[in-house]
Amino acid sequence: MKKGKFWTLAVLLIVSMVLAACQSGNGEEAGTEGESAGESSGGSKTLVFGRGGDSVSLDPSRVTDGESMKVAANIFETLINFGEQDTTLQPGLAKEWEASEDGLTYTLQLEEGVKFHDGTDFNAEAVVKNFERWANGDADTFPYYQSMFGGFKGDEGHVIEAVTAEGDHTVVFTLKRPQAPFLKNLAMTMFGIGSPEAFEADAEGFGENPVGTGPFKFVEWKRNDSITIEKNEEYWKEGLPKLDRVVFRSIPDNGARLNALITGDIDLADGINPSDQATISDDDNLQLFERPSLNIGYLGMTVTREPFGDKLVRQAFNHAIDRQAIIDAFFEGAAEPAKNPIPPSIPAYNDSIEGYEYDPEKAKELLAEAGYPDGFEMELWAMPVPRPYMPDGAKVAEVIQKNLADIGVTAEIVSYEWATYLEKASKGEADAFLLGWTGDNGDADNFIYALLDGDNIGSNNYTYYDNAELHDILIEAQTEVDEDTRNELYAKAQEIIHEDAPWVPLAHSTPLLAGSADITGFKAHPTGSDILSNVDFN
Amino acid sequence: MSEAITQPVPESPEEKTAGPWREAWNGFRKSKAALFGAAIVLMFVLLAFAGPLIAPEGINEQDMSKRLMAPSAEHWFGTDDFGRDILSRVIHGARISLWVGFFSVIGSVIVGSLLGIIAGYYGRWVDTIISRLFDIMLAFPSILLAIAIVSVLGPSLQNALIAIAVINIPNFGRLIRSRVLSIKQDEYITAAKGIGMKDSRILFSHILPNSMAPVIVQGTLAVATAILEAAALGFLGLGAQAPAPEWGKMLSDARNYLRDAPWTMIFPGLAIMLTVLGFNLMGDGLRDALDPKMKS
Repeated sequence: MKKGKFWTLAVLLIVSMVLAACQSGNGEEAGTEGESAGESSGGSKTLVFGRGGDSVSLDPSRVTDGESMKVAANIFETLINFGEQDTTLQPGLAKEWEASEDGLTYTLQLEEGVKFHDGTDFNAEAVVKNFERWANGDADTFPYYQSMFGGFKGDEGHVIEAVTAEGDHTVVFTLKRPQAPFLKNLAMTMFGIGSPEAFEADAEGFGENPVGTGPFKFVEWKRNDSITIEKNEEYWKEGLPKLDRVVFRSIPDNGARLNALITGDIDLADGINPSDQATISDDDNLQLFERPSLNIGYLGMTVTREPFGDKLVRQAFNHAIDRQAIIDAFFEGAAEPAKNPIPPSIPAYNDSIEGYEYDPEKAKELLAEAGYPDGFEMELWAMPVPRPYMPDGAKVAEVIQKNLADIGVTAEIVSYEWATYLEKASKGEADAFLLGWTGDNGDADNFIYALLDGDNIGSNNYTYYDNAELHDILIEAQTEVDEDTRNELYAKAQEIIHEDAPWVPLAHSTPLLAGSADITGFKAHPTGSDILSNVDFN
Repeated sequence: MSEAITQPVPESPEEKTAGPWREAWNGFRKSKAALFGAAIVLMFVLLAFAGPLIAPEGINEQDMSKRLMAPSAEHWFGTDDFGRDILSRVIHGARISLWVGFFSVIGSVIVGSLLGIIAGYYGRWVDTIISRLFDIMLAFPSILLAIAIVSVLGPSLQNALIAIAVINIPNFGRLIRSRVLSIKQDEYITAAKGIGMKDSRILFSHILPNSMAPVIVQGTLAVATAILEAAALGFLGLGAQAPAPEWGKMLSDARNYLRDAPWTMIFPGLAIMLTVLGFNLMGDGLRDALDPKMKS
């Protein structure tokens, strides 16, 4: 018996020693990697970019979340680019383009001599293959393609009739009907051109092994921790990129991320709390960046749930909530109060609409008129994570809770883990919920149609608001090519939405970023997809 | 083996001159620290009962024009990020914390005692099952178990209370069980059995009252832990929900302002510290007074 025990112990000891040896080996490897990643000066220039969450997939056409785009924008390039800090159209992989009179044909001239990271040539054939891949997909595989181009091959709503290559460097898009924001759609990060060889060889694995033409090449992805990309030595733009490596690190807590920046663990931080502005401006080692505002934070009311089916109740909420107090306290003024579902920087913004005044008495009257003189009980959903359009959902919810208490409505604040929150809200399980949206192409369509049209119930229309008149206007606006007529249509659409009030529009925020003082050339893009090829260290 | 030593000398009912409780009070009175602790506890109990009368403001009177004001004559403890009076919220918070503290401990004492008595008195397989159950529960770090329970039930103050009660059950259960094991060897129990007394009567009229002293000590100390655990759950967003002025939640709300408005954190923190200190001092005093081993 005793002897048996001794041997067991001896074997255990040996096994654990072997295991420990293996472990320390791995540990050392990880250690050296970590060090080189943290190094921001010296031989190799590495930028560590801290952000709130991890990417979902690195194949941008398969996802819609901002954190995926942020990385993909540096690996892939689009045919047309946005301006440095706006959504004007600039040459991308296509150096010039031409639209036919009737708006049905677009001819794009491509850059020559561009190569994918895997060494294959970028040419008209590659562009055609990319669009064929998306058009042959379905809503599950390429959700954003559906919302931007009206469906897939064979669908009636599908806008693109054909994509053809004419020679090596000319691509012709033929549309079934005119689509006003067509070129803007092409410029969205989702439609970055990937290497056909790579996605044909491994369609499923492409999201974890992306191959594009961009300034950086994919190196590795540690889930929920970091994504590393490195300089594309063969990049076709002379002298770019300036950095050797970029590491995207996920640090969910805003405070922890700022601390990591202050201690030098990261070089650039997204999602800075407005209340930390002063701390950063006072620190000589740091600089503050403002992301031009292209977003909306709102309180959505699910119209399929009582009593929010009643327009009067929704209008009452619009009068009850003190937007200015919320902005002063929890955006620290880095936002402007919202009255429309699109931000004022979009030309279609209807400034003649008068926002609902903060007026609790009026709100009470409306509630009484709707048949709820004593208010009611409801759940108020608050986002569990900081978002660029709302830095602290829980605090905003607490102000709203008090505003509602003042008009007799008892709201219980509820929160779920972020993915669950979105899923449950999209199924219409929330009475009222805080949420927001950052525009991806700077077009009104990307806000109003995506968020409030009946077509998008179940995807991005969380309120289940469905108005046939609005739908007709939005579809008409999509096909209208004349800018002024189009803006008039959107002006009308905003009036309808204002009257029906499916949301309480809260604020258009100016998201803040901070970086170490020696970073140069960083320009925060309004869509949240920052291309880092010009970034350098002093 | 050690039973012979720890076996308590049962207080003989004939000694009317100084009853066991009287004796305990005399012992307790001698300890200055214990009295100090009791005074703190008494103060917070008074605050809890009289809170709404004393507090200058309600718990949720937001005023954005007055947010994050430093302590002043108008707001003794300053204001928080919603412009609410922190003094008022701390006073109202006493009720929440003490409520959770007392009732969670009462819950765990009742369930724990019941299980402990059954395990200790009947022994054999009943004892094995209950004791292993306690072991399993004690194997988890208590706060982790509480988080798990709240996650299942959903975050609210009531569920936090339930979770705290559940995680403390094994402590009381094991305590009672060991007392019962030693008491049931005593002659008066044997005598009671001999005259044909029913098990239930033996358990509840003889064994239970005689095992109560350590439970009272442990209970007082457990209130302190329970308050801390409730604050921890509140801090993690799993306890009291907005706008309840639970101290742990107040700390969590204040953590963004640590640099610029430390008073939002200091006062709820002090309140937690003081109540926990009070209950601990009082508990220590009670142990000295009630523990037969300590008697000279």
